[in-house]
Amino acid sequence: MTFNVTEVLEIPLGVGDITVERLLYFAVILTVGVIFAKVVATNVRRALSERLPVNERELLAKLVYYAIIIWAFVVALPQLEFDLSGLLVAGGIAGLVIGFASQSVVSNLISGLFLMFEHPIRIGDNINVADVSGSVEDIRVLSTVIKTYDGIYIRIPNEKVFTSNITNYVHNAARRFTYEIRIRHQDDANEAIRIAKEVIETHPFALKSPAPSVFVDNLGDNSVNLTAYIWAPARNWWEVRTDLLWKIKRALEENGIEIPFPQRTVWFADGLEVKGGSGERKE
Amino acid sequence: MFGRYRGTFRRECGDILVEAESVDGLVTYRRRCAGQTFERILVSNTGEVVINPVEPVNLPKEITDFLLVEFSPMMIEPGASRTVYLKFPVEIGVFVESARDIEVLDVFAFGTQKYTLYGSPTNGVIARYYESAVYPEIPQVDPFREGVMELSIHNTCREWVEVSRVVFESTDMKIYYGDFVAATATMKLLTKTMAETDFVDAPLRPGMVKSIELYTARKIPAIDRGYLMEWGFS
Repeated sequence: MTFNVTEVLEIPLGVGDITVERLLYFAVILTVGVIFAKVVATNVRRALSERLPVNERELLAKLVYYAIIIWAFVVALPQLEFDLSGLLVAGGIAGLVIGFASQSVVSNLISGLFLMFEHPIRIGDNINVADVSGSVEDIRVLSTVIKTYDGIYIRIPNEKVFTSNITNYVHNAARRFTYEIRIRHQDDANEAIRIAKEVIETHPFALKSPAPSVFVDNLGDNSVNLTAYIWAPARNWWEVRTDLLWKIKRALEENGIEIPFPQRTVWFADGLEVKGGSGERKE
Repeated sequence: MFGRYRGTFRRECGDILVEAESVDGLVTYRRRCAGQTFERILVSNTGEVVINPVEPVNLPKEITDFLLVEFSPMMIEPGASRTVYLKFPVEIGVFVESARDIEVLDVFAFGTQKYTLYGSPTNGVIARYYESAVYPEIPQVDPFREGVMELSIHNTCREWVEVSRVVFESTDMKIYYGDFVAATATMKLLTKTMAETDFVDAPLRPGMVKSIELYTARKIPAIDRGYLMEWGFS
């Protein structure tokens, strides 16, 4: 018994005139398409690595990748004798059925496209969405990947991201943070304000404009409460915030201005009498 | 100190020491400036070390491409042009260059840096901030601290305008050095709140040497058209 390859390739699969050969052609075209898409997308990433921000580069690479795969799929479909024009006829009913079946997939897909084009978040941004805080690792077609600040991977469906309140901590160029500084009632508040402003001025990323503001906010029970508003570049605000407060405290103390402990002065209407022992009566 | 060096060398200018010395057959690059030291071992057969002034937006770390120089307010009449001189901060870049590639090794500077916001927090940009007086002639500068910027201002709008700051995109910056560090720039006032700024690729004095730019690789020449100041200039 001889094994004839040509005969094997011409075996019908029982669906229309589709043979093993045609099925192989379909698979080969798709495989070549996927490999070609990967190569092109990688080169797009590499070529634009110095010229485009990471999120725009990734978006472009993904668009190129999926466009090539769709193109390969369309080229390969005739091998299965699939008439694309038939889709228009069958599309009505099939679309309805598929639509119901894949409602959440389509919803996530559309949300993903909106996220990619509307740009409420970008890769690398620090955000809070759906009670998850962290930095955006990737915005995919169906989901968004967030790495929390303690390094945990969280995948959120795009629909949830899109319909939730998104807090993007770094979307704007600059952001403000606040310090509350307490000094003793007997300290000179004007001098404390001058010293605090001087310390803030020395930090490169405490922005010159909008200018920092330090003022007496209220008079507390135990202290005069100063408030400092400081603007910093949105992506660097944390390092400014963690750097300046201790420097302000030290500068104030070096100039004799102290942060007070909670204290209470107690007055006795008839003075304080200590009974027993050798206590002395005070007026 | 600015220039090209091959093999081992030592340059000391005031508080700055830059050297490449050979210890046990290993060449070590060492820099001391304002109390800070930086060292790297260099493995190179044919490479050169290039030291020159670079775009002043790298320290204490790179967060922006923009440079904002604030100066004494000037009132400029419609149609008027004037060339003035400003000072800008200088950062010193050290590069290692071979026949096939060039790479930045070190960036340092005297003094402190300050940044500011140009525009609104929503749409504005963070920029390196520097305050300068306005000089009618080239002022005296310490080449390791400050450079001289020749700024040609042209008011193309029909109203008097007040100008007290100029913002540049540092990726366009062309720096030349010789006895002093210099850059040439233009500022075209388009409306009362909008201006276009750009750098001119020409030395301020004949014989000046062009600096290697840190940001050349990131530019796309076809869309390199300077910077549009949309948030006012006073």
